[in-house]
Amino acid sequence: MDTVTIERKSNISTEHSSRIYWLGRYTERAFTTLKSLERLYDKVIDRDPEHYKKYLDCFGLNDIYGDYKKFFRSFIFDKDNCCSAAYSLERAYDNGIVLREEISTDALAYLQLAKDKLESSENTPQGLVVAMMPLEDILYGFYGCFADHVYNGEIRDIFFCAKSVERVELYIRLKYRSEKILSESERMCEFLKRIPENTPYRYNEKNLEGLMKMIYSKEYIGRESEAISLIARLFDGGAI
Amino acid sequence: MIKMKNRQILPVTNADEINQLLRRYGVKFGVYKNGQFKEQFFPFDPIPRIIESEKFKVIEKGLVQRADALNKFLFDIYHGKNIIRDGIVPEDFVYISSGYLPQCEGVTPPENIYSHISGIDLVEGGDGEWYILEDNLRIPSGASYPLIARELTRAASPDVFSENGVVDNRNYAKLLKDTMDFVNRGGINAILTPGRYNAAYFEHSYLAELTGAALVQNDELYVEDNMLWQKTYSGGKTRIGALYRRISDEYLDPLTFNSQSLIGIPNLMEAYRSGNVAIINSLGNGVADDKGIYYFVPKMIEYYLGEKAILKNAPTYLPFYEEDRDYVLKNIHKLVIKDVAEAGGYGVVFGSDLSEEKLADFRKTIINEPRRFIAQEVIDFKDLPILENGEQVMRKADLRAFVLSGETTRVWASGLTRFSRNPDSFVVNSSQGGGFKDTWILSR
Amino acid sequence: MKLLNFSFSTKLTFDNYVHNHSFALRCMPIESEVQHIVNCEMSISPFVPTKITIDAFGNTVTAGYISKEHRFLDFEINGCAEIDLSKSKTDYMPCYLYQSEYTKPDKELTDFYADVSAKCNAKDPFERAVFFSDILSDIIQYEKGVTDTKTTADLAFELKKGVCQDFSHIMLSLLRMDRIPCRYIAGLAACDGETHSWIEVWDGEKWLGFDPANNCPVNEDYLVLSQGRDFGDCSIDRGVMFGAYTKQLQLITSSLTTAY
Repeated sequence: MDTVTIERKSNISTEHSSRIYWLGRYTERAFTTLKSLERLYDKVIDRDPEHYKKYLDCFGLNDIYGDYKKFFRSFIFDKDNCCSAAYSLERAYDNGIVLREEISTDALAYLQLAKDKLESSENTPQGLVVAMMPLEDILYGFYGCFADHVYNGEIRDIFFCAKSVERVELYIRLKYRSEKILSESERMCEFLKRIPENTPYRYNEKNLEGLMKMIYSKEYIGRESEAISLIARLFDGGAI
Repeated sequence: MIKMKNRQILPVTNADEINQLLRRYGVKFGVYKNGQFKEQFFPFDPIPRIIESEKFKVIEKGLVQRADALNKFLFDIYHGKNIIRDGIVPEDFVYISSGYLPQCEGVTPPENIYSHISGIDLVEGGDGEWYILEDNLRIPSGASYPLIARELTRAASPDVFSENGVVDNRNYAKLLKDTMDFVNRGGINAILTPGRYNAAYFEHSYLAELTGAALVQNDELYVEDNMLWQKTYSGGKTRIGALYRRISDEYLDPLTFNSQSLIGIPNLMEAYRSGNVAIINSLGNGVADDKGIYYFVPKMIEYYLGEKAILKNAPTYLPFYEEDRDYVLKNIHKLVIKDVAEAGGYGVVFGSDLSEEKLADFRKTIINEPRRFIAQEVIDFKDLPILENGEQVMRKADLRAFVLSGETTRVWASGLTRFSRNPDSFVVNSSQGGGFKDTWILSR
Repeated sequence: MKLLNFSFSTKLTFDNYVHNHSFALRCMPIESEVQHIVNCEMSISPFVPTKITIDAFGNTVTAGYISKEHRFLDFEINGCAEIDLSKSKTDYMPCYLYQSEYTKPDKELTDFYADVSAKCNAKDPFERAVFFSDILSDIIQYEKGVTDTKTTADLAFELKKGVCQDFSHIMLSLLRMDRIPCRYIAGLAACDGETHSWIEVWDGEKWLGFDPANNCPVNEDYLVLSQGRDFGDCSIDRGVMFGAYTKQLQLITSSLTTAY
């Protein structure tokens, strides 16, 4: 879209900073949910049809599905299941829609596309993975568009920081390999350090240090909830 | 093909593709159904309304004249009131109008502009003549829809635009930004929205994006030292010098107007009165787009500009004047009667719908309360073709033209053409299922 | 001509902390042809910078914003004014001829007006006001606690009870039905320990004060703080604040004494 010269400096409102943060977290949650469901699907089709129960365990959820097909339907498409990709996508859209002038109509269009894609693929007879793949493409498009269109560095920092925080949390929760967790955590630290002091998303030094110590020493294994609670308190004391 | 004088116009035919693009770009408006908020896509019809260059030049001149006179009228009403003293407009019509705000008496908006964005509704009569239906000088909406539709149709049907000389309408953002910059009192431009659940939220956010204005809500704003500020996330503040507000006067400042308003900014009126912030459109404009005042607009044009009105009003009668009253009483069966105190389509009665008995009652009411009503001839307006299930059908349509007043008064070379989907209906309102068309002004 | 010493204070207390508090006070007496403010001091606590403007009705508005947490807002004015009723006030506004938010009559009040106006032979606007007020004072009983600041003229008339504010509103409603421009006054009167309300009637050339609650013309023992179409334009203090408070308590004290 053509725009008239944008001459705004960094005067993000508190409301918008929080919207940007949650936009980052929810798009990433939708994305990583799809990715890990894809990996899981690969296991259940011929090795262990009950393997999906392990995924449920990671969220402390009971199996109310009975079989993996029902489980996958719910975790991809069900907007009322707060762990589903569809739910995260809706929340991402809710946060994005109020950020049009910050993130651009073009970027926002990818969220609308993703929602439409998900809704239209619910009834496709093909394999679920095939249904999921174009969605990932669209989300990649969204990230690219975001990075490309947003000139305000503070907005980009908050967004990519939130995205990274979400990924670390999900990787820990879903018991990803420790190398993957470590490299994402280091990336997260890089982003965190860019957020200016005296703003709501400036990290709490003590909690970040505690978290990184657990990650380096792999002490989080078996103590996932402890690590996750440190993530939840990552911004304690930030100016809100 | 649409035949125009001496040439043929290649129309846009891929409606589905364009509607899909509109969907992708989230072109929606909100509606409340059974108390629940829903977002709907605004149906787009691909057959544009086409206005020839020569014809548009006349309309343009007429609209500039009208907007200028209305601005002068507003200034006069809130200052010297010469037009009342000189007997052109009877005072009762001004002061009983709910849009007249005594709180604005003596307050002078930056650069003396009251109506920065005037949405003037017109219809084309069967005789090819354009008539003014009403003026919207408060918060006229709708410009964003033809704006984004043009962006998308140009992408989807480039041939159409290389064949037909259509004036590019995508300068609206520039016109709007120029207007905001011109009246800005220092600080950034901002668009104030009541929030995501407002019917026109798409428009608020889209115009903010295109003009580089901050999209703001009241809870991040405050008035201190009689200046308007936006709080920033680092604990700082940014001054706002021009506020394009998309909420109505009565909710704008709970300390001056409706004290129950939860979407307003306390003491905004103090900042405005002190000349520290421009409010777009200014407060109190409702007095000039009132049904009762409409009758007087051609007289205003003569009074303030010394010119004859170029664009005609629909023929209107005021029972307040004896001669008009006699005409109305005799011809009530073929007139539309409007109650000036009612707004939004209410209080509009077609004489032809009433029984003899009801007509007699109505005549009595008019004799008792002549000031309360205006009467108009029913205009036979020209229908426009729309595509319905692949077939062309004819429907009622109007045109909302946008006039922007800043350093100069400019008419946007486009407009929102709304049509009724129901063949018997005159109602072209989007919330009632109507759709919209692009409006092409030919460049040659 | 008379010199009056005035003082007026209000203490607003909240039962919990509030913040982002915007306020607009209309408590500085008006400067007019008949009322000259010799001196006037204002103090506000907690300390906050304020700005003063004059609104469309001629009122002095003191506006401020307190972002920090606080539990009270006190403000006080003290000063001396010279009242001279031999001069006349002429600041006319057309809106005073038309009914406003608080004065729109219902059927009962409209019928009452028809009845009273039929009996009234006076031509002069002020004499008509006196006539209306005489009848009103027989019907409406002065009683505190039955009405509040939101009570409209027609509601008070239905109750047949009220305080000075209600008397003023009913009178304004009647006079406007009679096509006589008139306005609401909030101020201090020697006869009242709190804020008082009365009206002014436009006689075609100037404003004349009349006190419907006491059914008497206004003399030099009245000090005008604010004026407007009705109470809504004149409230001495209006504010918007945020916080978990559920109640606010307002204590008002005022005095008006002759200065020698």
